[in-house]
Amino acid sequence: MKISFRLLLVLSAFALAPVFTTAQNVEEGKKLFEANCTSCHQVHSEVVGPALKDVDKRRDEAWIIKWVKNSQAVIKSEDPYAVALANKFNNSVMTSFGSLKDAEIKSILAYIKTAPVPAGPTAGGGGGTDSTDVNNGPSGGGNMNNSTMLMILLGLAFVLGLTSILLGRVAASLKGTLYTAQPELAPEEGPGFWDGTFWPWVSRWNKTVATISFMLCFVFLYCYWGFGYANTEIGVQKGYAPAQPINYSHKIHAGQYKIQCQYCHSTVEKSKQASIPSPSTCMNCHVAVQAKDKYAGKISPEIMKIYNAVGYNPETKKYDGPQKPIKWVRIHNLPDFAYFNHSQHVKVGKIACQKCHGDIQNMSVVYQKNTLQMGWCIECHRESKVDMANNKYYEKIHAKYKALGKKEVSVAENGGLDCSKCHY
Amino acid sequence: MENQKQYWRGLEELNTSPEFVSNSKNEFMEGLPLDEVLNENSSTFGLASNRRDFLKFFGFSIGAVALAACNKAPVKNAIPYVVKPENITPGVPLYYASTCGACSSGCGILVKTREGRPIKVDGNENTFNKGALCAQGQASVLSLYDNDRIKSPLMGTQSLEWKKLDTDIATQLKTIDGSKIRVVSGTINSPSTQRAIDTFIKAHKGAEHITYDAISSSAIIKANEESFGKAVVPSYDFGKAEVIVSFGADFLGTWISPVEYTKQWVENRKLNKKKTMSRHIQFESNLSITGSSADMRLPIKPSQQGLALANLYNRLADINGSSKLDVQQFELPLDAIKNTANELWAKKGACLVVSGSNDVDVQILVNGINTMLGNYGKTIDLDNHSNQRKGIDSNFDKLVEDMNSGAVEGVIFYNVNPAYNYHNIAKLSSGIKKLKLSVGTSYNMDETAKMVKYTAPDHHYLESWNDHEAKVGHYTLTQPTITRIFNTRQAQESLLIWAGWENADFYTFIQDTWKENFGSDNFVTFWNQTLHNGYYIKTAGEASAPSFKGTVKAETITASANTGGKGKLELMTYEKVSMGDGSQANNPWLQELPDPISKVSWDNYAVINKSTADGLNLTDGDNISVSTGHGKIESIPVLIQPGMVKDTVAIALGYGRIDANREAMKKESSGKNAFVFRTSRNGHTTCLSSDVKIAKVGTGYTLAQTQTHHTIEGRNMVKETTLDRWTADPLSGNKSMSHIVSLWDEKDYKGHRWAMAIDLNACTGCGSCVIACQAENNVAVVGREEVLKGREMHWMRIDRYYSFTDKNKKKSTKEKEIAKNVDDFENVTVAFQPVMCQHCTHASCETVCPVLATTHSSEGLNQMTYNRCIGTKYCANNCAYKVRRFNWFRYFDNDKFDFNLNNDLGRMVINPDVTVRSRGVMEKCSFCVQRIQSGKLSAKRENRALVDGDVKTACQQACPANAIVFGDRNDPNSEISKLFYNDREYSLMTDDEKESSKEYFNTLKASLKPEELSNVARSYALLEEINVKPSVKYQVKVRNRKDDSIKDELDLDIKLAKEAEIHHAREHAKHAAQDAEGHGKEEKHGH
Repeated sequence: MKISFRLLLVLSAFALAPVFTTAQNVEEGKKLFEANCTSCHQVHSEVVGPALKDVDKRRDEAWIIKWVKNSQAVIKSEDPYAVALANKFNNSVMTSFGSLKDAEIKSILAYIKTAPVPAGPTAGGGGGTDSTDVNNGPSGGGNMNNSTMLMILLGLAFVLGLTSILLGRVAASLKGTLYTAQPELAPEEGPGFWDGTFWPWVSRWNKTVATISFMLCFVFLYCYWGFGYANTEIGVQKGYAPAQPINYSHKIHAGQYKIQCQYCHSTVEKSKQASIPSPSTCMNCHVAVQAKDKYAGKISPEIMKIYNAVGYNPETKKYDGPQKPIKWVRIHNLPDFAYFNHSQHVKVGKIACQKCHGDIQNMSVVYQKNTLQMGWCIECHRESKVDMANNKYYEKIHAKYKALGKKEVSVAENGGLDCSKCHY
Repeated sequence: MENQKQYWRGLEELNTSPEFVSNSKNEFMEGLPLDEVLNENSSTFGLASNRRDFLKFFGFSIGAVALAACNKAPVKNAIPYVVKPENITPGVPLYYASTCGACSSGCGILVKTREGRPIKVDGNENTFNKGALCAQGQASVLSLYDNDRIKSPLMGTQSLEWKKLDTDIATQLKTIDGSKIRVVSGTINSPSTQRAIDTFIKAHKGAEHITYDAISSSAIIKANEESFGKAVVPSYDFGKAEVIVSFGADFLGTWISPVEYTKQWVENRKLNKKKTMSRHIQFESNLSITGSSADMRLPIKPSQQGLALANLYNRLADINGSSKLDVQQFELPLDAIKNTANELWAKKGACLVVSGSNDVDVQILVNGINTMLGNYGKTIDLDNHSNQRKGIDSNFDKLVEDMNSGAVEGVIFYNVNPAYNYHNIAKLSSGIKKLKLSVGTSYNMDETAKMVKYTAPDHHYLESWNDHEAKVGHYTLTQPTITRIFNTRQAQESLLIWAGWENADFYTFIQDTWKENFGSDNFVTFWNQTLHNGYYIKTAGEASAPSFKGTVKAETITASANTGGKGKLELMTYEKVSMGDGSQANNPWLQELPDPISKVSWDNYAVINKSTADGLNLTDGDNISVSTGHGKIESIPVLIQPGMVKDTVAIALGYGRIDANREAMKKESSGKNAFVFRTSRNGHTTCLSSDVKIAKVGTGYTLAQTQTHHTIEGRNMVKETTLDRWTADPLSGNKSMSHIVSLWDEKDYKGHRWAMAIDLNACTGCGSCVIACQAENNVAVVGREEVLKGREMHWMRIDRYYSFTDKNKKKSTKEKEIAKNVDDFENVTVAFQPVMCQHCTHASCETVCPVLATTHSSEGLNQMTYNRCIGTKYCANNCAYKVRRFNWFRYFDNDKFDFNLNNDLGRMVINPDVTVRSRGVMEKCSFCVQRIQSGKLSAKRENRALVDGDVKTACQQACPANAIVFGDRNDPNSEISKLFYNDREYSLMTDDEKESSKEYFNTLKASLKPEELSNVARSYALLEEINVKPSVKYQVKVRNRKDDSIKDELDLDIKLAKEAEIHHAREHAKHAAQDAEGHGKEEKHGH
C-alpha cells in the first residue's frame, strides 16, 4: 500500500508538473506573443499571417521553431508545406526571430493552445468602421447640424414668442372693450401681487445702494461664470473627435489585435513626437490584409485609401502610382509655447500611453480624453514619483536625497514645476 | 580702490553729451508716444484724437477682441511622410558633415537639419577650424532661404528652360574659337571642380581658366614665387609663434582664414594651463579686432607700412650683421620698431611677421624678415600650403583688356561678381557688352547676373555636392542637406554639359576624382567614412625651410612711402567681419550685426580720427563726398573712430549693393560701394590713394550705432591687468567687492546648477556668438530704424570699451585731462566683453515681475516664460545688466520688418524647439535651455550620467577663441566649477553650509592644479557690489605688455587691495555679529 501510495504521489506530481510549467509558460508566452507576433498574427483569425490556432497540430514543434527562426530558409529548402504557405500569403516575408530561444517559442505555442476566443466580434481586417462606432465617441464641437438646429429653434422661439405677445395684447384689448361695455364683469380692483407684496419692500431700499449691489452681484456672477468658462472652455478641446480622412480604428488594431502602440508610433521613445506612422508602415500588414470578407470580396474602401496614398496597385501588386500624403486631423494640440516630449514621458518616465490618451484601445474614433491644460500637467507632476533608482542619470541626486532620508521624490520636487521645463 | 583706468564706449560717453546722459537715464530710449496720440492738438500721428476718440477706440478694441476670441479653434493637420526616410525621425535633429561655402577658407562644418531643412551651421571639431565658425559662416544658412535668389535659368531677365539655355550656349560656344573663351572663377580649392573646369577647357581647345578673388592675396602668392619659387599662400601657425607682429593683417577677423588663425592664436593666449602667453604687436591704420586684441598696437598710415617693415628689416639686419636696405630712417614713438626687432630676435624661429598689404614688394620684404628670423619650416609652412586664396589680380586685369580688345569673345563667370567688386566697373561693363557670349552662374540676382546674357544659377552650397582641399592634404566634402529649393543646377554640372557631356552627374564625378586620387580599392567604405566624417586628412609632411632668393626693391618702398606725406590725407579700404566682400549683403543677420569696433549696424561710413575730423571741421553725422583719382562716393556718413590713425579715411568694402538687396534692406542700408576706390598697382589690386579729396555735402545722418545702448554708466565692468602683475599676484586687477551679507536665503541646488565663464583675455569680439545665438534662438531682425531707437533684439551683445594707454605715465581719469590728451585718440586700448543674461542667483528682475513671468529654476536658470509675460517691462527696468529685450512688434508677421521672418522661405530657418516670440513680451538669453533639456534627456534615455561637455550653448560652440565655458557648477569635475571655485566663499559659509558642501569643495580643490588656481583667481562677476550673484563669471583680461613706468603704482595697488580685503573681512565679521544681536546700522557700512 505504502509503495503504491508513494507511486500515486509521484505519478500525481508528474501529472501536475506539466500543469505548473504550462501555467508559467503561458504567462511568458502571452507576453512574447504580444510583443513579437500580434502585428501579423492572431490566434483565432487570419491577419497578415495565418491564424495560429492548432498550429501545433498542423506542424510539429521542431518545424515551427525552424520556421520562426528563419522562415526564408525553410522556404528555400523547398519544404512543400512552407512553399504552399508562402504562396497563400502573397509571399509576404515573415520577420526572422533568430533571437528567440527554443524555450520561448515553446511558451508561445503553449499560450496559443490556451488562448481564449476573444469576446468581441472576430472579424478580420481593419477599417470599415460602422456608424455606431463613430457615435460611441463623445460628439465633438463644431458639428454643423447642431448649430443649424439651434438657429432654427431660436428662430422658432422668436416667432412663437412674438405670436404669444400679439395674442396676449389682442386678448387684453378684447377684455378692455368687454369691461367698458359691461363694467360689472370687470374684476375687483385691488393691489396686485407685485404692488401688494413686493413694492413695500422695494420702496424701503436706498436706490443707490440697491443699484450698486445689484450691479455688483451681476458683475460678480458674470466674472465667476466668465472665469470658469475661460478656464474650462476657451482653447480646451477635451472630447474633440474630428472625422479623419481614413476611418482608422484604434479599437480594432490596438484593442482587438493588440498591436503594440510603438509598432506604428515608432518614434515615441526617441523623439518629442510620437509621430503618425507613414502609410508605408500600414502597408507592412495591409499589403496582405484587405478585409475582403467584409466587403463581398472587394478590398475595404478604407484600405484602398492607403493604397491610393502610397500609389499601390493591388492588382498588379506594384507601387507605380503617384504618392499622395494623407492629411490627418491633429487631435491633441498644444500651443506653440508649450514644449512636450514624448520620449521623456514614455521612455524615461515609463508612463503608459493610456495615462494621457485614455483607453485608446477601445476608441473607434480617437478623441481627446484630457483637457491638456497646464493644471492637468502640473497635477500629474506633483503626484508622480521619479524613478531615480533605475536610471544612472539620477545617481548623484538620488544619493543626496537618500542622505536627507527622503525615499520618494516627486517630479515637482525635482524641478518638474520649473517654467523652463516646458516653456522656452 | 577701483581700477584707475577709465573705460568708455564712445565719444558721446567720454564727453558725456546731453543725448547720452538723457538716454542713459531711461531703460528704453524712446517711450511710447502716448501723450502725442492722446493730445487733441498733436499732429504727429495725424490722429488729433481726444477723450471721446479714445473711448471709441477702447470700446472698439474690446469688442474686436471679444469677437476675435469667439473664433473656433482652427483645424490643424498632421501630414506624415508617405514613405518615411530611414534616417529622419520627426523631432530629432539630423547632422550632416559638410564644408562651409561662405568664403574660400573652407572650414569643415556640421549642418543641423530638422525634418529635412538645415537650420544651423556649426564647425566640425576635426577640421582646422576645430569646431568653430565665423559670423559669416554662421549666417550662411539664412542665405539659403533668401527669397531673392534666382529661381530659374535666365536669358537677360527672362526665365527659360534649362534645355534651351544649354542648346543656346552650346551653339554659341561652337561659333567662338576656343582660345577666345575664358572661365572666371573665385579661388577653387576643390579638386573635382578644378577637374570639371579643366574638362570644359579641354573641350574648347585654347580656353583658359582665370582665378579672380574680390579681395585677393595675389601679392603674397607672387612674393612667394619670387622669393622661394612657390606661388602659394603659405600655412601660418600663430599657435607656435611666441611673438606675433602683424602689419595691417586682420588675421583674427578677415584675413585669409580667420577662424583657423584665431584657434591657433588663442592657444598661446589662454592662461588656463600655463602662465605664459604670446606677445602680439600690431601695426595698423584703422582699428581692427586683431589690433584691439594685440598687446601693443601702433597706428601707422597705410603708406608707411612698407617703410616701417623696411626699417624693421634694417634693425634685424643690424643684429644679424647682414646687408641693410637703402631706405629712409623711420621710427615710431616708444622706439617701437627697434623694440619689435629686439623682441622678434629674442624669439628667433618661434615668431611670425605677417602683412595684409597687397603690394608684392612689401610681401617680399616680409618674406625676407621671416627668413632672417628662421621662421620658415617652423611657423610658416610653404610645403603644406594653403589653397584658400589663389587669385592673381593681373590675370583678370588682362582679361578685361582682352574683352575690350576682342581677344576674348566668350566668358563664363563662375560664382564671381566682378560687376560689383572689380575696381574698374565701367571698363568691365563695356568689355562684357562686347562679348559674343557671357554666362554667369550667380546664385542670386547680383550685379554680374544683371550684366551677362545668360545666367545658369548655381545651387547654394547647402544644396550642392563638392569637395575641397583648403590646405594641402586637408580634404573635406560638401554634401547636400536639402533638396534644391529653386530650379537651379550645380554649376559644375553646367560646365560639364557645356563641355559636351550628355549625363553630367557631379556626384559620380567627384567619386571618380577621389578614386583617381586615393585608389579605388575599398572605395565604398573609404567614401562613406569620409562622407560621414566630412573630412579626410593626410598626415602633413615635414615643412622645409627654403632659401630666400627674392630681392627687395628699396626704391619702390620709398616711392610708395612718399606718396603719403605728413598731414596728407590718405584713403584705405578694409573688410568688416560681418560683411566681408559683400557676397552675403542680402543677409539681414549680417547687416544687423554691429561691427565689433564701431558698433554700427546696417551701414558703412568714412572712418576718421578725431583730430583729423576737427581739422576738417567734420563731426559724427556729417555726410561727405570722397573722391580719389580712381573713384568717387557722392555722400557717405562720417564716423569718428578712436584708434584710427590720423590723416586717413577708411571705408569698409562689401556695402552699397543697393540693386542686389531686397526692398526692405534697400530702405535700411545706405552703405556705399568702396570697391570703386581700388586700383591696380604693379598688377595687384589695392587701395592706396594719396590724392584724396573730401567735401562736406550734408549733415544730420545718424548711424545705427549700438555702442552706447545698454550702458552701465561707467561702472567697472571690464577688469584687466598685465602679465607681469598677474604672475606676481594672481588676484591683480581683480579686487573683489563681494558683499557677504545678503537679504536672501541661499537656495540649495541639488541637481545641476548651470553657469558660464567668459575669458576676456581670449575674446576677440568677432561677433560669431551673436549670430550663432540669433540662429539658435530665432532672434528677430529689427532694421536700422529700430536699432536707432535702441530696440535691437540680440540676446547677446559684445560691449567694446576703449581706454587710454598709459603713455604719459599718468592715467587720464577726468574729462579735462582727456581733452588735453586728444592726441591719444590714435592710441586707445580696447577690451571686448560679451554680455548676455547673467542668470543671477538673486535676480532683481524676478522680484519685480507682477505676473511671475520671470522666475528662478531649480537648476539656477533665470527663466523667462513668454506666455505669462504681459509686457510691463519692469524686469528690464530692474536689470542691472540691461540684457532684456522687448518685442515692440510682431517681427515675424509685419510687413514693416520684411527681413527673413516675413516670408515662408525665410521662416524655414526657424529652430522649432524655440518659441517665436510675439509682440508685447520680454525676452532674453535662456542659456540655450532647449539644449540643456535635450542634453539631459539624451543622458536619461541612455541611462547614464550627464558629462561635462554634453550641453554646449550656441555661443560657446561657435566661439573661435574658446572664450566661453559653460557647464554644471555642481559637478566638481566640470571645467566651469573650477572657474567658480572661490576659497573665500567657502571660508565665509556657516557651519551647516560648510558641512553640506564639504565634499564638493574638497573634490574640487583636489582637482585644481596650482597653475589652474591662478587662472581661477581671475574670475569675477559683473557688478559684484550689488550682490545679485550672477551665474556668469568673467576672467580678467591680461595684456602681455611690459609697462615698467607704472610699477610703483602697481605695487601700491596690490598693497591697497590686500588691505581692503582684510578690512572687508573684519567689517563683515563685525557686521555679522551685529546682525546676530539685532539689526545693525547697515547704512553706515557703505562699501
